[in-house]
Amino acid sequence: MPTEPPEVTGGRRPRPQAGGGWWALLVSLALGGILWAASWIGGHPVAGLFSFLIMVAFGAIFVVGRRSESIRMMAAGHRADERWRSIDLRATATAGLAVITVVIVAFIWEIAHGRSGQPYALLGAIAGLAYLVALVWLRWRS
Amino acid sequence: MKNQVRELRTQRGLAQGQLAEAMGVSRQTINSIENDRYTPSLPLAIALARFFGRPVEEVFHADRTA
Repeated sequence: MPTEPPEVTGGRRPRPQAGGGWWALLVSLALGGILWAASWIGGHPVAGLFSFLIMVAFGAIFVVGRRSESIRMMAAGHRADERWRSIDLRATATAGLAVITVVIVAFIWEIAHGRSGQPYALLGAIAGLAYLVALVWLRWRS
Repeated sequence: MKNQVRELRTQRGLAQGQLAEAMGVSRQTINSIENDRYTPSLPLAIALARFFGRPVEEVFHADRTA
């Protein structure tokens, strides 16, 4: 017979339940609504509606697939289990690297064409600063 | 990192989902650990070892052939 699970809970969280899919849909609807409203105010209601529908479709994936463990983990965010949080962290780092690469290439392209390099210079500076702050903060905490 | 999780689990007649439930992780995580695709955190490794009533170094050990 297996022994009772130990009380040590460091690094382990309760497993996310299927209800997380509905939360993801609500967040998607809210964000889609904000995008639609912003586009409407900016004079582009049809483009806003398109953004809203994309967000609805994105949220619907979480509801339709809520029985899938992967979908539940995606919807769980920080409550996901340690393996999924590790995957999420690496995926986020990959996405960040892709964005920073594009920003640097776009900045070089812009200055090579005699332009100021904005807004890519500012975006690159924000990324670099955020990295340094995170580095100092994480170094201080560990 | 090699481990004996699959052997210990099957000896006890547990499904991956049952062990996952007991550990508070997903079934996929247990599957990945058993297939040496994921090395668990120290707290999870200790929890698994305690669950099976074995020392952690008996459940998890370095892959000396790697």
